[in-house]
Amino acid sequence: VSARIAVPVFPGTNSEDETVRLLRDCGGDAELVHWSHAQTLGSYDAYVLSGGFAYEDRIRAGAIAAHDRIMDYVIEGAQHGKLVFGICNGAQILLEAGLVPGTGPIRRPTAAFAKNAPEPHFVCRHVYLKLEIDPLRCAITAALPPLALVPAWAAHAEGRLAASTEHLDEIASGDHIAFVYAHADGRVDDAAVPNGSALRCAGLVNRAGNVLAIMPHPERDGWNFNHLDRAHGDDVLAPSGGAALFRSFVAAVS
Amino acid sequence: MPTRRCNSRSLFRRELRLVNELHGAPNVALRDDELQRIAEGLGRQPTVVELHAFDAQWSEHCSYKSSRHHLARLPTSGARVVLGPGEDAGALHLGTHAGERYAVVVAHESHNHPSQIVPFEGAATGIGGIVRDVLCMGAEVIAVADPLRFGRNAHALHVACGAVDGIGAYGNAIGVPNLAGDVYFNEGFDDNCLVNVVALGIVKEADLIHSFAPKGADGWSIVLVGKATDPSGFGGASFSSLTLDAQESEINKGAVQVPDPFLKNVLMRASYRVFELLRERKIAAGFKDLGAGGIMGCSAEITAHGGYGAEINLDAVNVAIDGMRPEILAVGETQERLMWVMPPDAAAEIVRIYNEDFSLPEVAYNARAVVIGRVTSERRYVLRYRGGVVMDVDIDFLTGKIRDELPYTESIRHVGAASELPAVDVETLFPQILAHRDVASREPLYRRYDAVVRGCTVLPRGAADAGVLAPIPGARLGVALAVAGNPRYGRIDAAYAAEHAVAESLRRVVAVGARPIGLTDCLNFGNPRKPDQYGNFVAAIEGLERAAMELDLPFVSGNVSLYNESADDLAVPASAIVACIGAIDDVAAVVTPGLKEAGSALLWVGSRELVLGGSVLAELLGMDGTLPEISYAAERAAVGIVHDAIGRGVLRSCRVVSDGGMLTALARLAFDAMLRGRTIGVEIDFGNPLCEAGGFICEVSDASQIDLTGALRIGQTVAGTQLVVNGIPFEIPNLYEIWSRPLAEVYP
Repeated sequence: VSARIAVPVFPGTNSEDETVRLLRDCGGDAELVHWSHAQTLGSYDAYVLSGGFAYEDRIRAGAIAAHDRIMDYVIEGAQHGKLVFGICNGAQILLEAGLVPGTGPIRRPTAAFAKNAPEPHFVCRHVYLKLEIDPLRCAITAALPPLALVPAWAAHAEGRLAASTEHLDEIASGDHIAFVYAHADGRVDDAAVPNGSALRCAGLVNRAGNVLAIMPHPERDGWNFNHLDRAHGDDVLAPSGGAALFRSFVAAVS
Repeated sequence: MPTRRCNSRSLFRRELRLVNELHGAPNVALRDDELQRIAEGLGRQPTVVELHAFDAQWSEHCSYKSSRHHLARLPTSGARVVLGPGEDAGALHLGTHAGERYAVVVAHESHNHPSQIVPFEGAATGIGGIVRDVLCMGAEVIAVADPLRFGRNAHALHVACGAVDGIGAYGNAIGVPNLAGDVYFNEGFDDNCLVNVVALGIVKEADLIHSFAPKGADGWSIVLVGKATDPSGFGGASFSSLTLDAQESEINKGAVQVPDPFLKNVLMRASYRVFELLRERKIAAGFKDLGAGGIMGCSAEITAHGGYGAEINLDAVNVAIDGMRPEILAVGETQERLMWVMPPDAAAEIVRIYNEDFSLPEVAYNARAVVIGRVTSERRYVLRYRGGVVMDVDIDFLTGKIRDELPYTESIRHVGAASELPAVDVETLFPQILAHRDVASREPLYRRYDAVVRGCTVLPRGAADAGVLAPIPGARLGVALAVAGNPRYGRIDAAYAAEHAVAESLRRVVAVGARPIGLTDCLNFGNPRKPDQYGNFVAAIEGLERAAMELDLPFVSGNVSLYNESADDLAVPASAIVACIGAIDDVAAVVTPGLKEAGSALLWVGSRELVLGGSVLAELLGMDGTLPEISYAAERAAVGIVHDAIGRGVLRSCRVVSDGGMLTALARLAFDAMLRGRTIGVEIDFGNPLCEAGGFICEVSDASQIDLTGALRIGQTVAGTQLVVNGIPFEIPNLYEIWSRPLAEVYP
């Protein structure tokens, strides 16, 4: 029996279909689990929280969803070593739930994905995620090469990592910054960061390495037809680009 | 008789004043002769509820009373047409995948007046409404687009910001990518912006759901789904059929609806589940958006268009507050509501899906699906309220097509021999053109829109002349979408601007490698009761007809927005805004952005009429000019050349010549290469490089493969960072800086 991946749907989630599709195209046994069926979540082996505006991003993005019944199962699973992967709104929920960076108590976040700066609004921009940790530091990135560049789309209004100076030090020294923003050639500078994120952070991993939260969407640059620079002759329907991270996740789950 | 008319009028007005004083609602827009006709048709005075019902149903917004007979000229049929105009949206055959025929559903509307008054909510509800129009055809909503026209004064820029934020907030939250759109800034829109919205959906043709009760619907349930009815949006239909008056805008705010994209997100997904149920069980149904005229308008049309009547119990409606008067319940335009007509047992099942599986009442206060009435075979429209009948009229009289034959004067044509282009200083003027608000990069605006949610995007908003999606998972089929409508041309000649909008939207779709398959239009014009303004409207329809016939494309849906006038009673620039839908058999063939290689030939494909009138150059020089005739033979030939170049595999990149002219098109091809790390320069020689004559700039690997009778070789790509025109060198990175910054002042 292959490992089963749940993609839970909160009221307001909006990226669930393409997330499931890319997981499946990468060999994963993934399915949607609607909020009215949350009680079935315990039977899954891994969770992917997809993008959207769960509970309308009321208070802060992810703040309400972190207290949803769905998260009871996800938190329990994470504590038992199940893999949990959050993308965009999913990342915001994981941070609000205290699962990343995971340095404080559950559901008592010590950092935030705050309003973007200097442009304090939704920004949709193509970016690259650059792997900042040893690939083996996080089970979900284990199949990526060191310093991997993963193409993705940033599409959020609240993605700027913010925390106290001491806590940012703790996040950095604890190797919690899984990904930073980079240019296509791998250069890392402030111009590559779409949201003013502290430490140029694009993704956080917990201490145990089984929970990963990234703000940009690899699944929106996940097939050849998504790439503006695809080579002639590529199979346009084949997963590629952002699919590398999904493949690594699926490999870790299996 | 005059005395009686006078009496009835004063009676109505007094009643209305009372209603209005009680509820802060705007006045009804019905004219005296229409009030008279209602009384004669009913054989009695109407009730207050009936009065408001007729006010909505006979408004320009619902009835197209002064535009329908002109719109009938537009071609609406063709091999690709699955569903022409007449329902909530039209549909075009996209292609076949795995033995199933798929259609693109398309709708196009305006939300001009609401957006002028409350820009954020007005524009957001524009997106909300157009999405429902596509959803209710049984389709999955795959894209939106937003042609925008704003003024230039301080207030207009406030409107420009609020409207864009509203469009973004709504579309982003429901998870529908913004695929196309455009924006112009012109003084003619200072007091009356245009916010047009387009939505696309995808559906198997066999699964299309119609906006009327199907055969055998007698006795079926009428199900209202969505947000609890509240007093917002009362009088919306008649409101949008009046001119805006700055003094009254405070009062009119009550007529603007309140958006709830969070609820819409859930409603869409719940409706997709209902579609599955209907397909599995082969249950027939009608589905329609609640727009103008609210519960009354929707239930009357969905039943009348199927040949039935309806009986509605207003007490069954889920409400946000108690004690609302029946006319508000009946015609108020609370957003996020839809209506089903289906057999009673199926109705019970979908009520469970919406209310329990998707827990609507927990998503928004008292949102739910509820059976509010039934379809009847008697062709009456009956509303019950608190045990009494508050409306009982002949449904055909209510929904029948009233017609206003308004007088108009012939629009004055300004088309003729092209005016001589003056010798201009390209070195000084080209950077000014790139920095012009109608030319500069739109990225500060569209960056606020999600272009890639759903994961189907092939060419996102702004990457090319049209946006492209691969909407069917696992299929190579693509759909392209582009919009056009140049207000600088509209100010000069309404008919030419309309023709040009068709031609340009078509070119944009062709430039990305798609085959144009159909059109939609939104006609934004002034006051139809002013013969000169109405004359421009009529001329624009003639222009659309001419272009669509010549280019062999059908219109499958559209919308009319009249009474777009400034505070000084001047009409907005004539704005026939057109969207073109293109089909792509294999998205592998899509033309990707930017110059590809040094050493390519650069061709100008298309007519090279020397156009000054209406150009950005003319505006900078402070000059007027006539517009050239559109040569449809040249148009068709140009499209053929581009398709041929793609077919032969020699087309490396392509861009249409539009605002800012040929040199702007070349610069943008160079910018896109630069942004992708390709250092490619350009060398061209051409007499009038700032000229805006429509056509294509093509980068081809082998010009000998192209029939050069319709194309002119103007230069080549070279290694380097310079764009050299007639020996004048420009640094491409410098031009990019000039082009990319100006709109950040409007959208910081």
